[in-house]
Amino acid sequence: MTTVIFRTVTRLTVPIILLVSIALFLQGHNHPGGGFIAGVLSSSAFALIYIAYGLDFLEEDVLGRESGSTVEHLSHGVVTDYRRTFAIGLAVAAGSGVVAIGLGYAFLTQDYVIVHDLPLYHEVELASAVAFDLGVYAVVVGALLTILSVVGSE
Amino acid sequence: MLLAVALPFLGAAVTPFVFRFLGNRTAYYAAGVALASFSLIASQHGATGEVVLPWIPSLDVALRFYVDGLAVLIGYLASGIGVIILTYSGGYMEHEPGKKKYYTTLLVFMGSMIGVAFAADLLALFVFWELTSISSYVLIGHYTGERDSRYAARKAMFITVGGGLFMLIGFLMLASVTGTFDLVAMLGQAETVRQQLRAAGMLVPVIALLGVGAAAKSAQVPLHVWLPNAMEAPTPVSAFLHSATMVKAGVYLVGRFRPLLLTEEWLLVFAAMGLVTMAITAILAVAATDIKELLAYSTASHLGLIIAGFGFQNVYGAETGAFHILNHALFKAALFLVAGIIAHEAGTRAIDELGGLWSDLPVTGTVAVIAGLGMAGVPPFNGFYSKELLFEAAWETAVHAGGAAWLYPAIAVFGSIFTFLYSIRFVMLFFGDRPEGLTDVHSPPLSMIAPPVVLAVLAAVVGAFPQLAIDTIVQRVFESAATGHGHEFHVGLPTYLTPPVAMSAVVILVGVVTYPFYDRLHNGLRALGQAVPPIRTNWWYDGAVFGLNRLSVWLAGVVQNGLLRTYASWAFLGIVGLTLGGYLATDAVLPAAVPITLQAPIIIVLLVAVVAAVAITVAPSHVAGVLTLSILGFMVAIFYILASAPDLALTQLTVETLLLVIFLLVLDRLPAFYGSIDRWRAVRDGVLAVAVGVTVSITVLLSTAGAPSDGIARYFVENSIPLGGGSNIVNVILVDFRGFDTLGEISVIAMAAVSVLTLIAMRERGETS
Repeated sequence: MTTVIFRTVTRLTVPIILLVSIALFLQGHNHPGGGFIAGVLSSSAFALIYIAYGLDFLEEDVLGRESGSTVEHLSHGVVTDYRRTFAIGLAVAAGSGVVAIGLGYAFLTQDYVIVHDLPLYHEVELASAVAFDLGVYAVVVGALLTILSVVGSE
Repeated sequence: MLLAVALPFLGAAVTPFVFRFLGNRTAYYAAGVALASFSLIASQHGATGEVVLPWIPSLDVALRFYVDGLAVLIGYLASGIGVIILTYSGGYMEHEPGKKKYYTTLLVFMGSMIGVAFAADLLALFVFWELTSISSYVLIGHYTGERDSRYAARKAMFITVGGGLFMLIGFLMLASVTGTFDLVAMLGQAETVRQQLRAAGMLVPVIALLGVGAAAKSAQVPLHVWLPNAMEAPTPVSAFLHSATMVKAGVYLVGRFRPLLLTEEWLLVFAAMGLVTMAITAILAVAATDIKELLAYSTASHLGLIIAGFGFQNVYGAETGAFHILNHALFKAALFLVAGIIAHEAGTRAIDELGGLWSDLPVTGTVAVIAGLGMAGVPPFNGFYSKELLFEAAWETAVHAGGAAWLYPAIAVFGSIFTFLYSIRFVMLFFGDRPEGLTDVHSPPLSMIAPPVVLAVLAAVVGAFPQLAIDTIVQRVFESAATGHGHEFHVGLPTYLTPPVAMSAVVILVGVVTYPFYDRLHNGLRALGQAVPPIRTNWWYDGAVFGLNRLSVWLAGVVQNGLLRTYASWAFLGIVGLTLGGYLATDAVLPAAVPITLQAPIIIVLLVAVVAAVAITVAPSHVAGVLTLSILGFMVAIFYILASAPDLALTQLTVETLLLVIFLLVLDRLPAFYGSIDRWRAVRDGVLAVAVGVTVSITVLLSTAGAPSDGIARYFVENSIPLGGGSNIVNVILVDFRGFDTLGEISVIAMAAVSVLTLIAMRERGETS
């Protein structure tokens, strides 16, 4: 699985996948896409890196940290970051609902405004649901990568 | 009013921080919180009214609090005795472990108990009720290292929470018949509610279910077994929870619902249950060898007396219950504190090893005499008056009904004789000869001696001036528990001979005559219990619980034998069974076949999918199998595209890709060949697979045929842009209209990740038990 071809292709495709996932995330309100799909897609990008370069690559070469043994993986290192990601995501999603309560609406009420007269874009829609969707995205990415790296390190 | 309920909870929340600064003196802080609650409740004295705080408006559930005599009395007991107990704990718990947890839980308990007393909404009442059970669980299991403590805590939890669930069903029945959870509204039209219940055939079930709840909480036969074990708790806890307050919750329930449900059936259930409990547990108290065990059985017995009182239909019944709640709390809490002092200072709780304590503990002895004679029902101590009322209630009922109803006064007298016996035995701990080996009895600190003295003085005042207590508190309690109005009741020492007075005289005379044979009786009863185990309720309880334990261990071995395919088989079997069972139960009818026209591309895609599915089963290697599986997945994705569902297709594609990648990641770790499976297992798995397929197909057919009118779909289509501001309806539904669902789903994803983490991280450590 770690042939030169595979590694080279991975190097090329991973940025594209990540870019596509961001695009999917942003256009989710009006076109196919959204937080869940974008999250799964981003996770597959990471999975490709894992397969091509091994589990420690991300931690040692990208983040420049010492990687611990397998058991330690579970308690700190990059897995902690993944864990934090989905915890924060859950908090963001729930928090966006609580904010609505604070403003006097029911839990998870969403709203949007359309901003006119911007340079380049002319008109941008800002939907409060983006915050919630961002939470979904973070939970999906964090949870899938946690599972992936924990199972993968076995 | 709200503050009185909320205050203990707030106090409990900051207790751990207070403990850091005050240490042992946290007891006085907690007592201060209790005192504040007490004064708040006292400010409601004599008031009647309701406070409503919306909770779940759509279900008409609210945090309603209702103030009346009964509620105020229970509130007084919870907070007032709380002050006393917390002060006493300052001395008693000085050298004990876990004080932070202890004071926090005690305050939580106090808050829940006040909540039970004042809650006027059935669901709020239930929540507070179970909170008392849970805090009691923590307090009984205070010594977490001891096996007995854990057993006792589990037992108490199992029985009281279980009873609470019965009560909940009763509440739901009540609510379904009356259409409201509002207790005050129900009490306001008790007669109508009774007729509605009777018409719906639910009167007896409701009474029975509430009876089970009350019996579990108030330790009525045969659910009394948890109370003696609960004595594993530190003595202040026993005094507080298991004599004065928590066990009164059941009694409170009976008193609260008495005006609502008072009928012939009510009499039969509660008078019989109360009297039987009173007699049986009094006998068990005589058989007790430990002073706290004796007090525990005696508590159950007196609770039986109160419940029997509330059970009788005449006015004396309500008087008995109302008055005895107060009396019992006063003398029993005092006696428990006395028992705590004895255990603490003499170092033993065994009755045989104690005696002649008067010379060392004169003040404690005086308290014990006042409280003990009150418990025995000797005039002019407080317990006498309420017991007299019970005799009167039983006698009146018997005179009216005749026949078998004469059993009521007979059992009441019989039980009272044993009550008299064990009460005197407890008092005699302070007199007579001092047994060998009992040396070195210390004097208790002031913080331990003052609380029981306060209680004993109160008990003595009630004994000397019963009418005073009636006028201050009890009259109003009685009015909450009685039907009808305008009756003023009076008590006092009897001046001429009536049947109830004669009954009291018989009790005392027989008691005095039998007392010299106490030891023989005690030994005989113990021997009987040992010789014939089935007459002990514990034997049944232990048998049932340990039997169930063994059953579940065996079942877990069969269902979850560590092989993934067994787990999967059982899970699928369960799903199929439940789903098909549900369809059968609801008489679901399969819709007639609808002719569907399929376009050629869809047919081709589906055919490829079917071929791939068949190919998986004969795939020669794992890699081939996984790749074929993903063909199936991608075909489904294409099908979605053709069926114009781009979002689904996109999701299916990404998930399918990720799955494939994960499979490839783990594939080279798996053995290449598992070995051939035997024919029987193949047939079994095949049948299961077909069953799952059939179930899914039926579900699809039923759910698509049963599509509701497209009102909601049209709503989404019409409002996606104006309300959600997005033209992708699917996503607007996901994040906006039905955001709560999505929140739940991502919580599940997070939970899955957490469980994978813990499963793999803990695998190395093995079982911790």
